[in-house]
Amino acid sequence: MAEASIETRGLTRLFKDNRAVDGLDLTIAEGELFGLIGPDGAGKTTTLRLLAGLLAISAGEARVAGHDLRKEAEAIKPHIGYMAQEFSLYAELTVAENLQFFSEIYAVDPTQILEKSERLLAFAGLNEFKQRRAEHLSGGMKKKLALACTLIHDPQILLLDEPTTGVDPVSRREFWEILTELNLGGTTIVVSTPYMDEADRCARVGLMYQGRMVFCDTPMAIREQLPGDVVELHTQDWRAARGVVASLPGVLQVQTYGESLHLIVDSAEQRLPQLVCALEDHNIPYRSLRAAPPRMEEAFISLIHQLQAHGES
Amino acid sequence: MSWRNIRAVIRKEIQHILRDRGTLIMVLITPTMILLIMAYSLTVDLEHIPIAALDQNRTSVSRAFIQQITAGEDLDLYAQVGSIDEIESMLVKGEIKAAVVIAPDFSETVLSLRGLPMQVIIDGTEPESGYFAVDHIGQRVERFIRDVMADQMQAIGVPEEALLPIDIRIRAWYNPGLKPRVDMIPGLISMVLGFPALSVALTLAHEREHGTLEQLMVSPIGRADLLIGKMIPYIIVGMANVIIIPMLAMLWFDIPFNGSFPLFMLLSAFFLFGILSMGIIIGVFMHTQAAAMAVSFLLIFFPGFFLTGIFFPIASMPEVMRMEALFLPGTHYAVISRGLFLTGAGMDILWPYAVMLVGLGFVFTGVASLFFRKRLG
Repeated sequence: MAEASIETRGLTRLFKDNRAVDGLDLTIAEGELFGLIGPDGAGKTTTLRLLAGLLAISAGEARVAGHDLRKEAEAIKPHIGYMAQEFSLYAELTVAENLQFFSEIYAVDPTQILEKSERLLAFAGLNEFKQRRAEHLSGGMKKKLALACTLIHDPQILLLDEPTTGVDPVSRREFWEILTELNLGGTTIVVSTPYMDEADRCARVGLMYQGRMVFCDTPMAIREQLPGDVVELHTQDWRAARGVVASLPGVLQVQTYGESLHLIVDSAEQRLPQLVCALEDHNIPYRSLRAAPPRMEEAFISLIHQLQAHGES
Repeated sequence: MSWRNIRAVIRKEIQHILRDRGTLIMVLITPTMILLIMAYSLTVDLEHIPIAALDQNRTSVSRAFIQQITAGEDLDLYAQVGSIDEIESMLVKGEIKAAVVIAPDFSETVLSLRGLPMQVIIDGTEPESGYFAVDHIGQRVERFIRDVMADQMQAIGVPEEALLPIDIRIRAWYNPGLKPRVDMIPGLISMVLGFPALSVALTLAHEREHGTLEQLMVSPIGRADLLIGKMIPYIIVGMANVIIIPMLAMLWFDIPFNGSFPLFMLLSAFFLFGILSMGIIIGVFMHTQAAAMAVSFLLIFFPGFFLTGIFFPIASMPEVMRMEALFLPGTHYAVISRGLFLTGAGMDILWPYAVMLVGLGFVFTGVASLFFRKRLG
């Protein structure tokens, strides 16, 4: 494994009495694509802001790009690119002017600004909107412009806070293609996301819960955290079906996805026939009932449920 | 400090000012508006003050006296009344601001040169107009006495000059007519030119509210670079006012300008540096535009109004206030503005004030960059 780009030991941030980030131990290798997931308020944004030097550290240590965050927060800034969750560019400035401004404050070589801007605009698909004011861009284009501004100084490390929230699926996909390409070029990326399909594209994923990193591994390992198998049940009458199957022996969890129910069972092979019987007994019609490969989303919800149950007991 | 960073911030800020209509109006139109409103509401040249006369003498002499008093534009005879009660009722209703009561033995006493038995009653609830009336009645009385005496002297063959060994002539320098506007407007100018300080205070809070400050904080830009870069565009725009506002004073209000205009521009730039630095401090500490606005009024504009000597002389303030006034750029600039407009003072006299302005600017900017953290929360 390559040298660590980001390394934290017991990283903690308090807001009054609330431990927003609580004893975070994290090592992210150079060139890694790392995903941060977790429910709202879990501490993802605070973590990213701490790593960007935007918040003072309450306790613990952190090194980013080889610099101690506590002592040399300014020294890391030329090496990182940070993209806040909310749109944070100058609305009255055009696309080109925003890029120009950020290239100047990042001290990009003046002879390279034009060429770099052109490349990034092409990369982000914003070439024809160069003269448009940022405030008049669509949500997806704003995000791409923000990313372009974040990339103007070729940062080694990218810290992205839910970069695709509120963006349509096509733009989302395009955005991730850009990220993948950057990552292949060697950029270390830490990205928080509420979308599990995005988490699935990361090399490693950290699940945060109440300020702590409760799980940190590959997406595959997270999927394997599911305590059993997944059974997909498609039915019109999912409310009634849920009532019936939830109480069956061997059914650990029931998650609802639109018109389908995803059941986590201890063993699909063993429980499928019992499920069929139960549904027929209660006269609940269904379109399909089959074992399915576990997905990130189910694993995520299952883990959160376990944590919540653990917290309550 | 990097000139490249400062220049980038300046360019961005000017683009913002020019494209954001609210900011543009705030920095370019508001000072003119405020000067007009204040000049008209605060510096009314008094005229046509209504007074009443109670003539208990009823002779040609007393009638000539009343006529003499109300001959000018300053005092108008509202009514001739028959009793003190009538005067009181008119004063209470606000129909008159003052009254002249002439004693029954007026003509006799005056003609025998023994005195001037009369009384002036003023409305103490409105001392401005009251004192104005007393003042002007006094002037008229003087002239009346001189006329009467001249007649009497001639009658007995004594030359007039023999009776007036002391001749006091008061001349108000720099403002011969003692018109309040001439004195007030250069003072007001020093106040309204500081208005862009509010925009500067708001611009940092605006960036904070819109998340753009967060983006600047993760960049390597120096704190002083950012603050200086934010201030310079408002000094540039403020200089437009430094030309517009004196023009307005000279052409519209007929205020004389006796000093050097280039010097006025230079010292105004110093003043803008001083007062905009105050705005920057407020922007550093206040995290929302609403708070920045409120505090700007509290720390810049109210003290600018009351403590800088525009309305109340600083010499008559308590010590603490005088000390506070020293820290307000407006205090020093009011002296400069009045000096250049009215007395035509030069750098030989104004240099200490100029030094104070620049000094305050550096102190305030220093404090602002010291306390400005590239951190959230």
